[in-house]
Order: sequence, then C-alpha cells, then structure tokens
Amino acid sequence: MDGSALNNPRLKAMIEEERTKAMANELVAKLTFLCWDKCVTGSVGSSFSRSETSCLSNCAKRFAEVKMMTMQRFTGRS
Amino acid sequence: MDSFSSSLPSSGPSANPDAVMEQIKAQLAQAYAQEFLETVGNKCFEKCVTKPGSSLSGSESSCISRCVDRYIEATGIVSRALFSSQR
Repeated sequence: MDGSALNNPRLKAMIEEERTKAMANELVAKLTFLCWDKCVTGSVGSSFSRSETSCLSNCAKRFAEVKMMTMQRFTGRS
Repeated sequence: MDSFSSSLPSSGPSANPDAVMEQIKAQLAQAYAQEFLETVGNKCFEKCVTKPGSSLSGSESSCISRCVDRYIEATGIVSRALFSSQR
C-alpha cells in the first residue's frame, strides 16, 4: 500500500476511533482480570451474588481512583 | 509485492478506506477474542480444576461452563462501572 491511503483523513479518523476502542477494551480486560481474583473468591455459581456484583463494580471504580491518585501524587499535587 | 499489501482488498494508490477499516476491525476482533479465550481458560482452570485427574469430572465440566458465563458477566459489570458511571 502506498502512502496516499494512509494520508486519507477519514481513514486516519476511523483508525483513531478503533485505537480508542481497543484501549478501552484493554482496560476492561485488565481490570476484569484483577477484580475477578479479588471478588470471586469462593466457588463459581450459576449467577453472581449481590456482594460479588458490587465488589466487581467497586473494584473497577476504586482502580480508576487509585490511578488518578497515584498520578497526582507523582506529579506533586495533593 | 510484499505479503502485507497483497492481502489488502485493493493496493492501488486509492485503496478503499472502508475496506481497509473492515480488515483492521476484523483483525482487532480476532486478536481480542484470542486473548479473551486465553484469559478465561486460565482463570477457569485455576478455579475449577483444583486436583487434576485422568479426565475432567462432571462437576469440573459444569464448573467450567458456569465460570465462562461468570467471567463474561464480570467483564460487563466492570465495563459498565468504568464507562457508564455518573459522578
């Protein structure tokens, strides 16, 4: 493929959109991986208990906070 | 012609952006599915096969089925918690 296709702004925009989606998917996958171990501790049932469900949801949100906090701490803000 | 450009639908100077995007999306989807399968297989093996025998027992097999369903459900819960929460 020569360069002219990659200079297409519409194509660039579509690729950027896919890149953003892929990054979001990767974050979800990473968090599910981490939060599964924290929240699904006993045996696996045919549905999640309410505490498992809220643990998973909380886990994801707390991770987002931790990420923000560590960045702020690292850059010297409180 | 290298193998990359020969696998694209049209490798002339005006390659169709939609066709290129279809290829890119298909490859992304396939890579995602492969990684997902590997992750779920590992997690459910850990969960359900605690003492490997000479074959999978019935309870191990049904545990694996439930585990796959739960992992998919967990992915949805995490996704909604991250991307549809209002502060």
